[in-house]
Amino acid sequence: MLGGGLIIGIIAVLHIFVSHFAVGGGLFLPLTERKAYRENNPALLEYVKSHTKFFVLVVLVFGAVSGAGIWWSIGLVNPEATATLIHVFVWGWAIEWVFFIVEIAAAFIYYYGWDRMDAKTHLTVGWIYFVSAWMSLFVINGILAFMLTPGAWLESRSFAAAFFNPSMLPSCVVRTAVSVALAGVYGLVTAAAIRDVALRMEVVRYAAKWVLAGTFVIPLGGVWYIATLPQMAREISMGAAPAVTIFAGLSIFFSLLVVLFTFFGPYEHPRYFNLTSAFVIAIMALSTTAVTEWVREAVRKPYIIYDYMYANTLRLDDVARVRQKGILRSALWVRSHEVDPANPARSGEDIFRVQCALCHTVDGYNSIRFAVKGWSRQMIDYQLLHLNELKGFMPPFIGTEEERAALVKWLEELNPQPRTLEPSYPGEKARAAPQAGPGGAQR
Amino acid sequence: MNLVIPGPVPVPLPAPAWLLQLLLVFTFILHLLPMNLLMGGAAMLAVSSYVGRNNPHHRELTRRASRLMPPVVAFSITLGVAPLLFLQLLYGQLFYTSSVLMAWAWLAVILLLMLGYYGIYWFSMQQEELGTRGFWVILVTAIIFLHIMMIFVQNMSLLERPQDFYSEFMARSVGAYLGSLDALTLARFFHMLVASFAVAGLGVALVSGVWKGEAPEFAAWARRYGVKWFLAWTGVQFLAGIWFLLEQPTGIRARFLGGERLATALLALAIALAVLAMLAASRSLAASCFAIVGTISLMAVIRHLVRLERLRSYFDAHTLPVEGQWVVFGIFAVLLVAGLATVGWMLYKFFRAASAPTASA
Repeated sequence: MLGGGLIIGIIAVLHIFVSHFAVGGGLFLPLTERKAYRENNPALLEYVKSHTKFFVLVVLVFGAVSGAGIWWSIGLVNPEATATLIHVFVWGWAIEWVFFIVEIAAAFIYYYGWDRMDAKTHLTVGWIYFVSAWMSLFVINGILAFMLTPGAWLESRSFAAAFFNPSMLPSCVVRTAVSVALAGVYGLVTAAAIRDVALRMEVVRYAAKWVLAGTFVIPLGGVWYIATLPQMAREISMGAAPAVTIFAGLSIFFSLLVVLFTFFGPYEHPRYFNLTSAFVIAIMALSTTAVTEWVREAVRKPYIIYDYMYANTLRLDDVARVRQKGILRSALWVRSHEVDPANPARSGEDIFRVQCALCHTVDGYNSIRFAVKGWSRQMIDYQLLHLNELKGFMPPFIGTEEERAALVKWLEELNPQPRTLEPSYPGEKARAAPQAGPGGAQR
Repeated sequence: MNLVIPGPVPVPLPAPAWLLQLLLVFTFILHLLPMNLLMGGAAMLAVSSYVGRNNPHHRELTRRASRLMPPVVAFSITLGVAPLLFLQLLYGQLFYTSSVLMAWAWLAVILLLMLGYYGIYWFSMQQEELGTRGFWVILVTAIIFLHIMMIFVQNMSLLERPQDFYSEFMARSVGAYLGSLDALTLARFFHMLVASFAVAGLGVALVSGVWKGEAPEFAAWARRYGVKWFLAWTGVQFLAGIWFLLEQPTGIRARFLGGERLATALLALAIALAVLAMLAASRSLAASCFAIVGTISLMAVIRHLVRLERLRSYFDAHTLPVEGQWVVFGIFAVLLVAGLATVGWMLYKFFRAASAPTASA
C-alpha cells in the first residue's frame, strides 16, 4: 500500500529534519556556551546544559537510527542503485563513518563533561563535535548531489569527479544554511520552556536570529543550486510537472511562513513567545523540509542516478539489450521468463513488478489502478509506447511488443467495469471525440 | 532447484577483495564488542533490576551500570555501520536479496532499535521515578534487542543460502519471510546470545575497577559477580558452541575438526583462549579480557571462513574486477588514525578531569 518511495520519503524527511539539527546544533552549543562565558552569564550556561540533554536525546538516538533507516530502506527498495552508490563511494562512506565515531564520542563527552571538565577543554570538545558533524554532512552531501548531477563521472568514472560534482558545492551551502536555521528552530523549542522570563526573552531572540540568518542564506544558495541542475530537472520544478511545481511553490511558501513567524514572533516580540508558538514554527520548518526534499527527489525523475540509471533501476547502457531480449528474460524475480500465451495478464503483472513497482503500487501510493482508470486498451498501449514522451518524468517502457501487450492486458483488467465511451487516440479514427476529454492522458 | 542469484553491479571494486574482506572482519570485531555488551548488559540489568528489589548490591549495580548503557548502544550502532558497508560492497547481490525477501522484518529493525534505544535511555535516566516498574522497562528493552539479534541472524543465514532464494521468493509475497527455525540457525542465534551474556559479565567485572574508589565493598562484589556471570555463561558456551559446530554441514564441520589445518588451528586457538580467559578471570582481569577479545576476533575470522565455504559454489568476490581508489583509501586511513587519536585525546581529558577534583566550567 505504501510503496517503497513513500517509505523512504517518510524516514528520510524525519531524518533530514533531525540530522541537520545535529550539525547546526553542534554549532549552536559551543557558540552559545562561549557567549555565556564571555558575558559571564551562568543562567545562559544552565540553559546550554539543558539544551545539550535535549540535543543528545534527539540527535544521538533518533538522528542515528533514522539515518540507518534510510540506508535500510534504500537497500530494500532500490538495491541496484544502492549497490552502485556503495561501489562508487565506499571510501566516502568509510570516511563519513570515521566522522560518525568522532561525532558520537564528542557528543557524549560534551554531555557528560559538563561540570567536570574545564571550560576550555569542554568547549574544544564542542568544536570537535561540530567539525566532525559538518564533515559528515559534507561527505553525504557529495553522494546525494551525485545522484542528481553525476557530471564528469559519466565519462571518467573517477571518485573525484563523482564527489565534486556540479551541484555538490551549492547543495552543501544550502544544507549548511538549513542546519543553522534548524539549530535556531530547535533552540526556540528549548528556549520557550525556560522559566525565568528575562533569560527566556534573551534566548528566544538569540535563537530567532539563528533561524533568520540561516533562512537568509538558503535562497541565495538555492538559486546557485538550481542553476547547476540539468535543464529537464529545472523544467519539471517550474511548470512541466504541475504536482512538482506546486510542491516547489509550497516549499517557498512554508519557508516564508517560517521567516515571517520568526521575525514577528520570537525576534520582535520574544515576551509573548511560548512553547506552542515554538512547535508551530517547528512544524512549518518540518513541512518545508518535507516538500523541499520531495521536490529534490522528484526533479531527478526519470532517473535514480541521472543519465546513468532509470528510476526503475534499469541502466541506460542496458536498455538496447533488454529491449531486444525482453524484460522477462532479463529479469530474475519473475514467475516465468516468457509471456504466458494462456494468461498474458499474469506475465503483465510480473512486468509491472519488475519495471513499474518501484514507483507505483497497485492500490496505494501512486496507484496504478487509479492512473489507468477509464482508459481503453488502445489508450493504455499508446501511453506505454510513448511513456517518456508523454510524461517526461517517467522512463520509457522497455520490453518486447509481446511483453507490452501482456502489461496492457494486466493494466486493462485492473478496472474491469464496462465502459460506454471509448476515448480516442491518435492513429485511430475518432469515434467519440467530442465526449472524451483530454483529462485521461494528463492524469 | 531453481538457482537465482543476481549479478554484481558492473562497477569495479574500489580495492582488492582481500583488503575489503580484511576490513569487513576487522570492523565486525569492533562492532561485536559493544554489541555483546549491549545485549548481555540489557539482560544482566533485567536480572539485577528484578533481584535488586530485595538486594542492595543488585540495586546499586543496576543504578551504576545503566548509566553506561547509552554510549554502549551508540557505539554498537555506529561501529555496525562499517561492516554492513563492506558486506554490501562484497556480497551486495546476496545481502540485498535476502533482505528484500524478509523486507518487513528487516525494516522492523529500525523501529525496534529506536524503541530499544529510548528504552535504555528511559531506564538509565529515570531509575528513581520508575521504581519497581523499571524492571519491566528493561525487560521489554532486552527482549527488543533479542529480536534485533534474531533478525540479523536470520538475514545473515539466508544470505548464505542463495539456493533457497527463488523458492522463498515463490513461497509467499515478497518481503514476508520471517526466518527459519532450523537447528543451524537456532544454534547460531544461541551461540551469539550466550557469547553476549559472557562478555557483559566480564564487562561488569572490568568496570567495577572504576567504582572501587567510591564504593570499594560494592565494587569488590560487582567484580566477583561479573566474573561468576562470565564463567557460567562461557561454560554454557562450550555446549552451545559444540551444538553449533555439530549442526554445520558435514563438509564444513570436517574442516574444523582436522580436515584443514588452518581452520582446525584457528578453532583450537579460539577455544584455548576462551579457556585461558576463564582461568585468568579471577586473578587478572586484563589477561582475561585480552584472551576473550582474542577469542572473539578468531571467531569472527572463523565465521568469515564458514561464509566463504558456504558460498564457494555460488560466488567468489575475488573474481570481481578491481579499480583501486587508493588516494581516497589513503585519506580514509589517515582520517581513521586521526579520528581515533582525537577520540583518545577526548577520553583522556575526560577521565583526567573526572579523577581530578570537580572543576566547574
